Amino acid sequence: MTPTVPTTAPTAARAVSAAPSARTAAARRRRYGAPTVLLAPFFVLFTAATLVPIGYAVYLSLFTEHRSGLGFGGSETVFTGLGNYTRALGDGAFRGGFRNLAQYCLLYIPLMMCLALVLALLLDSALVRARRFFQLALFLPHAVPGTIAALVWVYLYTPGISPVIGALNSAGAGADLLGHPLPAVVNMAVWEWTGYNMVIFFAALQAIPREVLEAARVDGAGPLRTALSIKVPLIRSSLTVVGLFTVIGSLQLFTEPMILHGTTPSVVSTWSPNMYAYTAAFERHDYGLAAASSVLLALAAAALSFVVTRATRTRSGRTRPQTETGAVA
Amino acid sequence: MSAALSRSRRALRAAAALTAAALSATLLAGCGSDDEDPAGAGKTVDITFWGWAKGTKEVVDAFNASHKDVHVTYEEIPSGAAGGYAKLSNAVKAGNAPDVFNVEYPQLPDFVSQGAVKDIGEYVDADLKAKYLPQAVQLTTLGGATYALPLDAAPQVFYYRKDLFAKAGIKTPPRTWDEFHSAAGKLRKAEPGARIATFFPDDPTTFEAMAWQAGAQWFGTSGDSWQVSLNGPETAKVAGYWQKMIDDDLVRVEPSFSQQWTASLQKGQTAGYLGASWGGGVLKGTLPDQAGKWAVAPLPSWNGDAAGGMLGGSTFAVSKDSKKAKAAVEFATWATTTPEGIEARISAGNSSAYPADPDLVPVAAKAFKADFYGGQDVYGVYGSAAKSIGQKWTWGPAMGVTNTSLKDSFGRLSSGSGTIAQALASAQKDTVAELKNRGLKVSAR
Repeated sequence: MTPTVPTTAPTAARAVSAAPSARTAAARRRRYGAPTVLLAPFFVLFTAATLVPIGYAVYLSLFTEHRSGLGFGGSETVFTGLGNYTRALGDGAFRGGFRNLAQYCLLYIPLMMCLALVLALLLDSALVRARRFFQLALFLPHAVPGTIAALVWVYLYTPGISPVIGALNSAGAGADLLGHPLPAVVNMAVWEWTGYNMVIFFAALQAIPREVLEAARVDGAGPLRTALSIKVPLIRSSLTVVGLFTVIGSLQLFTEPMILHGTTPSVVSTWSPNMYAYTAAFERHDYGLAAASSVLLALAAAALSFVVTRATRTRSGRTRPQTETGAVA
Repeated sequence: MSAALSRSRRALRAAAALTAAALSATLLAGCGSDDEDPAGAGKTVDITFWGWAKGTKEVVDAFNASHKDVHVTYEEIPSGAAGGYAKLSNAVKAGNAPDVFNVEYPQLPDFVSQGAVKDIGEYVDADLKAKYLPQAVQLTTLGGATYALPLDAAPQVFYYRKDLFAKAGIKTPPRTWDEFHSAAGKLRKAEPGARIATFFPDDPTTFEAMAWQAGAQWFGTSGDSWQVSLNGPETAKVAGYWQKMIDDDLVRVEPSFSQQWTASLQKGQTAGYLGASWGGGVLKGTLPDQAGKWAVAPLPSWNGDAAGGMLGGSTFAVSKDSKKAKAAVEFATWATTTPEGIEARISAGNSSAYPADPDLVPVAAKAFKADFYGGQDVYGVYGSAAKSIGQKWTWGPAMGVTNTSLKDSFGRLSSGSGTIAQALASAQKDTVAELKNRGLKVSAR
């Protein structure tokens, strides 16, 4: 879920375009020598681990295996153009994956963002003692690897062995989380990411000039009013960035539903688009379809990345003057 | 924020570097083993083998200890459904597949059709073939060519808790499916939390074995075209029966070998298991506390006559690109047809595999410690079940797709939002579409 895709591309682009023209070759060499050497390992790895696989996936997505008769005589690889793409887009299961993803985003993002914001505001307020402890405790879930976290949650979801479900059942409130994949997955994600994003919000809150808060207090604003009318508007750019990065990260949804899939078949093998690609490759042995669906997913991610960079650029352009006016006032 | 991001990016880059290093190491290792000359006389031929069945390591050790000409390097992979097949097909695609690997009967046609398996007909003579159970040979012969050597036949039987059955007043294990239904009712009446068995939504092969028993034939060939019929009357009968069992709340609906399933067995809330011969070892290993309480009975049938299907069962296949097919077949032959090979597997502990070579059944029966079943002659039950395995069944060329489709629909059973019949209808549709997509011919039956 780490949003690497959207950040690397603009950085690289800026590094190239920002280079001012040098007069002589020697000066240029002096200027570019060290950066070239220092950046080379990155670009070599970037090429080998990102560009080449992407290229290969695009290449694979244009071919399909064709057999004849009973199919035991081996297969030949034939060019199908966009055949795999139309097949993926025409498959209800693939579209269903995007539908699940949209529902997941609608439920997860507001929930997680609100929770993270409230926690950050509480930490930032004078109400909380032991601030460092809570910061660490809330961040801790993020330090647990996703797979392990998912396994722990699956244990807690499974009736018959989960103490939580057992307690709920004996209290008369039967809960069947394994039968309802969406809340089950959202819960795991909220647990894992709230603390992480809270830290980001908290850092932004700490950066608010103290004079502004003092001015608010002088004007008679209580803690709640300060939080809602002063603090939240001032960290709006952080909110936007976290929100949009979370959307893009959510596109990669795989680990949690995949582990649930191993435990309960009510999470189908094509629950998220990433799982669709995995199933196509390893259960259907259809690498062309897997590649095509991955490329489609990557395109969706690229489109969203574009929106992110656009939105954050205009957003920060608009909010910065406000911050300054606020600071002056 | 940006510090956190660049840190994670740095971590990612480090991970990428490590992966690249690991990959190149594997590639180099791969190149090294390819350079060996397999034909060199007097030299040891090194072959690689991937498998997961219980006792496999002991079989390989025993083989290596007794053979000078061939040395097997064994790598344990996750069981097929748990990711082993994904690993295998990935390796095939990448060109670094092992020389020989285990594949279950249902998946064999799929792997052959992928071009992953070598036709080993030239190394397998009629004498060798005659050693195996005819049903097992039939399932490894595709389009007239021999693609694998069968390790075990996996007849389906019924494992049950003697004590719980006695408490519910059930004196003999059910012989027919009607008796099974009434036994399920009695069991639940005696102990409201107890159920007779589990319907495994994640494992369509159990359902397939029961359709097989009922005389269904999901796949068939006529000339050079496939016939697909998941919607025949025999299958519908089995589907209707199990739908009723689920609707009447007489069976559990839980994934196979899941923590849930294990927990309900441990608590005595599940009193039976419709499993294969190899399942006997699994039960024994999973529930050591319940030794002596279990027994094995033949699978209930529709008319009381012995009939059965096969549930899983493994074969040894040689990969298409292997240059050491002869050595690979030598190892596979040894592992499947010699007393030493079978004994090493069974005496390792928890394997209750039923050898595909009937001559070796006494060896297996002697090596298997049946104290878990109160000393019962479990191999006797397996033996008659193996003989009654229906001979008409063929696995389709895209079982991955068929089973994934079934699994995805079976997943809706527990919430009551789907039926077995619907699952079969959509699996039929998905299978035919996949076959056509691969360029295979499909004709109406």
